[in-house]
Amino acid sequence: MSRNSIIALIVFFVAVIAFFVLTRHTETQQRVQQNVLSFVRPLFGLTSNLSAKAEAVAKGMKTLPQLEEENRQLKLTNEQLTLRNQLLNDMERENTGLRNALGFKQRSQFKLVPARIIARSSATWWTSVQIDRGERDGLDSDMPVVVDEGLVGKTTTVAENTAYVLLITDEGCKVAATVESTRENGILSGERTSSGNAPELSLNFLAKTAVPQLKPGLKVFSSGVGGVFPSGLVLGEIRSVEMRALDARARVSPAVNLARLENVFVVVGQRETPPAPTPAPRTR
Amino acid sequence: MNTLAFFGIVLVAQCVAILAQHLVPTIGPLFDARPLLYPVLLAYGALALPFGGMLALAFCSGLLWDALTAQFLVQRAAGGGPPQLVVENSLGWSILLYALLGALIHGLRPLFLRGRWDIHCLASGFCTVAILLTEYLLMTFRRGGLVFPSTLWPRIFLPGFFAMLAAPPVYFLFNYLANLLDYRVRNEAPS
Repeated sequence: MSRNSIIALIVFFVAVIAFFVLTRHTETQQRVQQNVLSFVRPLFGLTSNLSAKAEAVAKGMKTLPQLEEENRQLKLTNEQLTLRNQLLNDMERENTGLRNALGFKQRSQFKLVPARIIARSSATWWTSVQIDRGERDGLDSDMPVVVDEGLVGKTTTVAENTAYVLLITDEGCKVAATVESTRENGILSGERTSSGNAPELSLNFLAKTAVPQLKPGLKVFSSGVGGVFPSGLVLGEIRSVEMRALDARARVSPAVNLARLENVFVVVGQRETPPAPTPAPRTR
Repeated sequence: MNTLAFFGIVLVAQCVAILAQHLVPTIGPLFDARPLLYPVLLAYGALALPFGGMLALAFCSGLLWDALTAQFLVQRAAGGGPPQLVVENSLGWSILLYALLGALIHGLRPLFLRGRWDIHCLASGFCTVAILLTEYLLMTFRRGGLVFPSTLWPRIFLPGFFAMLAAPPVYFLFNYLANLLDYRVRNEAPS
């Protein structure tokens, strides 16, 4: 080994030891990741915008008759939706009135922050995506991420203007779950080597006695236990059930097609609602 | 000066490759295998750069890769204790792995000096497989239960194969750049 190589080796080890000492706390390591993510965020945002524009251009190449037909359809849909909206408004008013009359608490609603996926993790063994919202938008770590079909995952590292979302298909994302029309509870998590195109989830710790009730096709919802994920979010559908030595396990197909995700919503809290009016005292 | 300029080019290319890796999708029909370009550049750097340059490249690559891919999770104790932040495969371990792989590949330099492009090709495949396998072993050890499903092996070896396919163009491109800069790979062994 030449003298230069020995010097280089010593410098390298000193640098590595210094790095390990400086980042010995996990919080410090996460801060390093936050800074790196904030630094590369414009680059990912730019490439994401470019690909979205290219896709839009490819989709937008339509002939005049096609555009006229699309316009006609959109007008029709608009009329239908306006009518439906009016009907729903009436129903909401009626519903609120009935709830107030019965003294029920207003059903909690989520406060959502819309976000766009700007990059997918390049790691082979961890499944996460990067979104274009961060601390500046009120995001914090461990916040549920949803779409209208169901749960997507939860936030992990949150930088100033971007955040990582750990997908439900990752083994590290564990959700307390309950099976539709049964009282069966379990913990849902991804597979260690889950694949993006045909991912499968595992619902573990089910009672062996419940196996006859657990039919394929039954929906799995979040149970709200644990405090991270609110209850009632659709997680997936049972595919099969197998007995194990101490418990039963169900294979679940996720409700959300994670390979085609573009836009998601981060649940940042519950929507503030005005307190329900106190029912008037009854008079005889 | 030429060495420094060439090192700069390899380093920038490596950083771009790591960042661009986020935009490379997995190949669904091939067991979700993901083509990885940065191990190809790491292998080239280990063969073409001096030992010190290889170590610097391993340091920067490992740091950037870990910073972009480390997974931080908040763990809550069952008894309701305070939440704890944990990290899977902590930041910095890739630096050591890349330096170790780089040092092994650097030992093949005498063959590389004879213009053997196939050495870089084999080193790229080896480097990719070793990185993926080590990442998986560390992860599965940490999570508990050494699980080796059948879908694991294609996801480790196919990227290695892709790396071997990508290696010759990378070799010839960087050799061309080295010629432009008048950079010559020299044997560092003491005479």
